[in-house]
Amino acid sequence: MTRPAVAEPEASKDAGGKQPFRLRLTLAFIYAAVFPLAAFGVFVLTQITPGGPAVTIAPALLFAIAAAAIVGVILALYLAADLTAPLRRIAAAVESVSRGDLSTRIEVGGDDELARLADSHNRLAGDLERRNRELRRILSAIEKASPGLGVDRLADMAGEDARAAFDMIDAVVLLVDPREIPTEERVPGEPRSVRALLHVGEDVLGVLVGRLPATDTWEQADQDLLEVFAAEIAVAIRNAELFERVEAQNAQLVELDAAKDDFLRGVSHNLQTPLTSIRAYADQLGTDRPDRRLAIIAEQSDRLSRMVRQLLTVSRLESGALKPRSEVLALGPHVRRTWEAFGQTDAAFEVDDHAEGWLAVADPDQLDQVLWALLDNAVKYGAGAAVHVSIESDPAARVVRLTIADDGPGIPVEDVDRLFQRFERGAADGHSQGTGLGLYVSRELTRAMGGDLVLAPGNDAAAPTRAAFTVSLPGEPGEEG
Amino acid sequence: MLTGGWRGGSGAPRILIVDDDPNLLVLLADQLKGDGFEIQTARDGQEALRRLQSGWPDLLILDMMMARMDGLSLAREIKARADLPIIVLSAIDTADSKAEILEEVAEDYVTKPYHYPELRARVLRVLRRLGDKVPRQSLVLGPDLTLELHHRTAIVGGTPVQLTPTESRLLYALAANLGSTVSTETLLDRGWADTDDADPSYVWVTMRRLRQKIERNPDRPAHVVTVRGVGYRLVGDGVDAPAGQ
Repeated sequence: MTRPAVAEPEASKDAGGKQPFRLRLTLAFIYAAVFPLAAFGVFVLTQITPGGPAVTIAPALLFAIAAAAIVGVILALYLAADLTAPLRRIAAAVESVSRGDLSTRIEVGGDDELARLADSHNRLAGDLERRNRELRRILSAIEKASPGLGVDRLADMAGEDARAAFDMIDAVVLLVDPREIPTEERVPGEPRSVRALLHVGEDVLGVLVGRLPATDTWEQADQDLLEVFAAEIAVAIRNAELFERVEAQNAQLVELDAAKDDFLRGVSHNLQTPLTSIRAYADQLGTDRPDRRLAIIAEQSDRLSRMVRQLLTVSRLESGALKPRSEVLALGPHVRRTWEAFGQTDAAFEVDDHAEGWLAVADPDQLDQVLWALLDNAVKYGAGAAVHVSIESDPAARVVRLTIADDGPGIPVEDVDRLFQRFERGAADGHSQGTGLGLYVSRELTRAMGGDLVLAPGNDAAAPTRAAFTVSLPGEPGEEG
Repeated sequence: MLTGGWRGGSGAPRILIVDDDPNLLVLLADQLKGDGFEIQTARDGQEALRRLQSGWPDLLILDMMMARMDGLSLAREIKARADLPIIVLSAIDTADSKAEILEEVAEDYVTKPYHYPELRARVLRVLRRLGDKVPRQSLVLGPDLTLELHHRTAIVGGTPVQLTPTESRLLYALAANLGSTVSTETLLDRGWADTDDADPSYVWVTMRRLRQKIERNPDRPAHVVTVRGVGYRLVGDGVDAPAGQ
């Protein structure tokens, strides 16, 4: 779209009095035509009356005057209507434009004031229509400027959108210090250069520069619009920069996490390999020639390898790489076998199995970690007191629950809240055995298997809570079908 | 509870152990020989492949992390050639995402440090299914169910469904006897090692869960059919399921 580069002062018009313009114009014509004629008639009548003979002329003259007056009025009415017609058209057009139909134009021939008025109106409506279009285009451009597109793509798109919206020859977003881009002097007849800074607050990200055809006008309103656009694009680009940074950091974290996992996997492998030999040789020797000392070697190497495994499990829980599988198993035999792995312990152990044929759905290896940690705690903190296990099924909830409790001193009130946090150990005895990860890992593992691990609430707010931990797991009735 | 060593007939089963820790290799070979197995060992994947040229064992016990050729590559190469059962013996436990990949090709998984009776029980469990033969490729049971047991997957109505190791073992035993009833006892034998404390309810519940995964209507199963009081039978579409027996 091109616009004529004419800048004329808008035709100013008197607002007028009380009567309609057309009536006033008519009266003016009538005054101008009738009064001189009437004056002439009166003059003639006064001149000829005294003589007498020409008396017969008088009625004819009066008739002539009246007829002339009537013709004059009709002519005046017609002339006034003709003169005001363009004005009415202008009024109708302005009304239409103000109602929102910006495409309305006024057709007025000639080169007079009214034609110029119409022309001014047409240009005003054209400008409004063009800015509306620019606004729509830049709004849709802003809308589609999603930070996920990336900085370069956003800058490219913004240049193209600005070019299309403002009818530029070309436009480009340069993400450099604007002082590096010299402002061009305007040369008449040459394309005209326009620019707007991309800034977010005080921070200048770059500059949008474009060239307009030499015949186009560029008014303050256009410049304002371009600057609004540039500011919005600057925000989008800043968001995209932040987005890219976050993405990069994420990728780095994922990489670090994988590296950590690989490292831990390697360390674990390198620790478990000798432990495997130690454990297996101790077992084999112990089978040939039972010896309490060999059993201790086997159990302690087992303990060590479980700690290593716990560390690896924590890392996997954190990275979400741990995927327990669901197999069915009976909790009673499972907990007995885990207890057997402890070998020698002086504590009494009893299992109260009320599962009534219900099986748990769990990952046997992961459940083994959980039960081992809970039994280990019961032995360690129970100070040799008896360890009780009870198993119950809750058919309504389709859950099986296993509770491991010891008759030890219980858990001090101040420890209860942070029991399941990482690297927490019972404070009371200053025990430094273990990783401090047992309960944390156990709870996370049971949750990963669709269950939970809780400490049975104490009855007395001040007294130590009995150490009774309940593992709940999804359950299935052991029926044929 | 433990059933001791190999008591099957017709020659001792041959087991190839692949592990890069020589201490473990010697010890485990000793332990398994003591239970009547015929043992070969290899220190890495290449050596294992060379050993395979002079004859295939019945079972492979494989370490996952080895210096020259990792366990996964070796397992894939072997599985591409034949359905040789593999037990993974690894310091990485089964919940590891890498173990998951290996589990696709492995029959079972024992975590290091291993408990020898448990390892032996698992070896025996795997050997029990040696007579079972199912197609290497997919087994089409109907328009809405295809089994790909070598990938531990069932295609249900066009959607792949992951099977647990136990589920796929049971399906394997059923598929090897397609159309005829397999007793609950046999399924128990195929699905679990004797250190798993399993009883028939393990089979029942696992079958019920399996039906939830692969049957269009788990309450009216079309493929995994219960033969009450006896066991289960796997049927394809168009194969009538006579009542009883």
